[in-house]
Amino acid sequence: MPRTRHVLPGFRLSLGYTITYLSIIVLAPFAALAWKSSKGGVEIFTSTLTDKRVLASLELSFTTSFYAALVCGFFGVLTAWALERYSFPGRRILDAMVDLPFALPTAVAGIALCTLYAPNGWLGKILSPGGLKNLYVSWVETPNQWLVNLLEPIGFKAAYSSTGITIALIFIGFPFVVRTVQPIIQGLSLEVEEAAACLGANRWQTFWRVIFPTILPGTLAGMTLAFGRAVGEYGSVVFISGNMPFKTEIAPLLIVSRLEQYNYNGAAALGFILLVISFLILLFSNLLQAWNNKRTAR
Amino acid sequence: MSIKIDHISKDFGKTNVLKNISLQVETGELVALLGPSGSGKTTLLRIIAGLEFPNEGEGAITFHGSEVTFQSAYARKAGFVFQHYALFNHMTVADNIAFGLKVMPRRSRPSSARQKQIVQELLEKIQLPEYGRRFPTQLSGGQRQRVALARALAVNPQVLLLDEPFGALDAKVRKELRRWLREFHDSIKLTTLFVTHDQDEAFELADRVVILGDGEIQQIGKPDELRDKPVNEFVADFIEVE
Amino acid sequence: MAGIAQLNLPSGEDATRARIIARNQLARRATSDPFWMKAIVLTLSLGFLFVFFVLPLALVFQEAFRKGWEAYLKVFDDRATTHSIWLTLQVALIAVPLNTVFGLAAAWCVAHFRFRGKQLLSVLIELPLWVSPVVAGLIYVLLFGRQGLLGPWLFEKDIKIIFALPGIVLSTVFVTFPFVARVVTPQLQALGRAEEEAALTLGANGWSTFWRVTVPKIKWSLIYGIILCNARAMGEFGAVSVVSGHIRNQTNTMPLHIEVLYNEYQFVPAFAVASLLALLALLTLVIKSATTWFADRALRNAAL
Repeated sequence: MPRTRHVLPGFRLSLGYTITYLSIIVLAPFAALAWKSSKGGVEIFTSTLTDKRVLASLELSFTTSFYAALVCGFFGVLTAWALERYSFPGRRILDAMVDLPFALPTAVAGIALCTLYAPNGWLGKILSPGGLKNLYVSWVETPNQWLVNLLEPIGFKAAYSSTGITIALIFIGFPFVVRTVQPIIQGLSLEVEEAAACLGANRWQTFWRVIFPTILPGTLAGMTLAFGRAVGEYGSVVFISGNMPFKTEIAPLLIVSRLEQYNYNGAAALGFILLVISFLILLFSNLLQAWNNKRTAR
Repeated sequence: MSIKIDHISKDFGKTNVLKNISLQVETGELVALLGPSGSGKTTLLRIIAGLEFPNEGEGAITFHGSEVTFQSAYARKAGFVFQHYALFNHMTVADNIAFGLKVMPRRSRPSSARQKQIVQELLEKIQLPEYGRRFPTQLSGGQRQRVALARALAVNPQVLLLDEPFGALDAKVRKELRRWLREFHDSIKLTTLFVTHDQDEAFELADRVVILGDGEIQQIGKPDELRDKPVNEFVADFIEVE
Repeated sequence: MAGIAQLNLPSGEDATRARIIARNQLARRATSDPFWMKAIVLTLSLGFLFVFFVLPLALVFQEAFRKGWEAYLKVFDDRATTHSIWLTLQVALIAVPLNTVFGLAAAWCVAHFRFRGKQLLSVLIELPLWVSPVVAGLIYVLLFGRQGLLGPWLFEKDIKIIFALPGIVLSTVFVTFPFVARVVTPQLQALGRAEEEAALTLGANGWSTFWRVTVPKIKWSLIYGIILCNARAMGEFGAVSVVSGHIRNQTNTMPLHIEVLYNEYQFVPAFAVASLLALLALLTLVIKSATTWFADRALRNAAL
């Protein structure tokens, strides 16, 4: 291979430094993980993957992350659309607000969400069974008995349940969808929409047939990122989840409890599985991004 | 200073951008590299400046007898004026012009008083004496063009290379600046190469014109020679179409 | 005559203006949403942001000041609390500069050069973002812990990494690893390399080009990258929680201290410490808005 010459200096230095630092910080520890989880042999993986508690935690992590990604997808697209297309007072502040989950420590988010949705919290009070009824009774002087009976059974347990976990994961995943979809909406050519209008499409048809197919791949990519982030999330979830084995124990938490019981091989095996899952999700998201680039390329 | 280009080729991946280019430019000459887009003219100019390197093992570039083929751009110090000027937006006009002086090794670096003097002289030469404190974004296209030229000249280059010097300007400014550049060249007598796709520009300004097409030199000559005796169909077509 | 002209002129202007407005409305109608749709979209998205973002933030401060200013300030008299703040600052002070230098090096080679394996390198740089923070802590425990790869050797030499400052710093470095690089690289790519090339032709060597041209031109993105990296470094919870061992007055960073206080039902102190980190997050967002504005302006100027 002929040695390539570079016009700008510093290629070897910067690349060498980048690779060395990457190897020390990222690659070497990963090698340790691979080494430790292989030490237990195949058995440790089969026993990990057949352990009912592990399976319950993985299932919980996946379902809550999936629902969270769905909610993020819906509200993320709406918010991205509003931020890019509408002008309203406070738009800039809201735009900045979207990044809050990137900047706010997960532990802070965790205790705040937990307190908010706990049965005596601001929102937990309303959401818990009978909460709406209490709100209605306290607001109206002579409550309608029929309405009271109707409202009485409405409500659910928000904190310390899988709903609570989903709420925390929605918070974490939201910016990923907005920040993936926003540039795509920004890049939409108004001319295409005008062309659709000239051809007789109404606004709904234009949205459904022209805009939606264009932003779909990007939206899915953003949702995949939100999902991927959610599967591994820890800090914002542990407070609100309640951490009941088999019920509200997510996979990362199970790793922590295995470590606390000095079960290093078991922790390594589960960690390795989680790592492989995040690799696959990242790969899938990249494929979606490639599809998106094809769609939005001009 | 004379420039000698000896059998230079350049590939980008699998595309053959320049094929076996040989060219000699004499001291004080003003030469135009003329050709359609994709003919490789900008690549050739960048190779002369040291902003690209030619294929290894084929040919050489010599500046006044010494080989510079793979010498780095900062050692070569060819004055280069970029198509979009590449002014440093975070520096004032004066700092832009003084940049080349400031990065000189301490031994040869002029004192800061001397630097100021050089900058002021250059500002006057480009007819923008009052503009030293402004920032590049506050200037018009023609003014930026001249600042870029002054910046390149501040380090006393032995050769001046201009990439599409009038490409981004409107027609009127273009005409004025063209005349100004010719006079300017006559006053400093610096070996100058410039790239253009506009044959009027090449024929009006240059002592000699090099016509490039498909990565090869099609013809070299004085403007009249090219007009009267195009050597092949490509040259005839290209001059005709314009 | 003059009177007529004066009367006519404004009405003529009005007519023109009306026509322009009508035409603008017509043009707008094709690409803008009907009022009811705007109303629904805005209600839903603003409602969402209020419930998920504004309420939790408001709650942090409300809970922190539940018992007034004095109780709030008294929280910071506690030795464990001040120690956790000091430890967090130390960790950030080491981790952020390390990742800044790395981010600049990575941005320089990824943005300015083409080389084999560049795609792979970019993916590897992003990787820590997608790894569960718990796994991030776990890998260091497996490398340096008592049962780990280097554990026995470290124990012999009496070097403590896990359950000590080095482990906390390492896992924080890992988690905040990509932030400077992923903010700076796209900006450097978008700005192109013409200014660096110009500096080279003027005789500047690599270092002067870097310090005098590259750093000033990406400074706004760089500032944002550093601020974001800092916010994440100070707030990291999962990874640090795994490697720290939660030793009070020794290895409890602010987020870990928040957890301890919260689990002991000391809500005012927990939220008071949390309010500091929330303020840091808000500050980060403000700086993000400002620097993004400046960085975009730099891009527009470069495109001139």
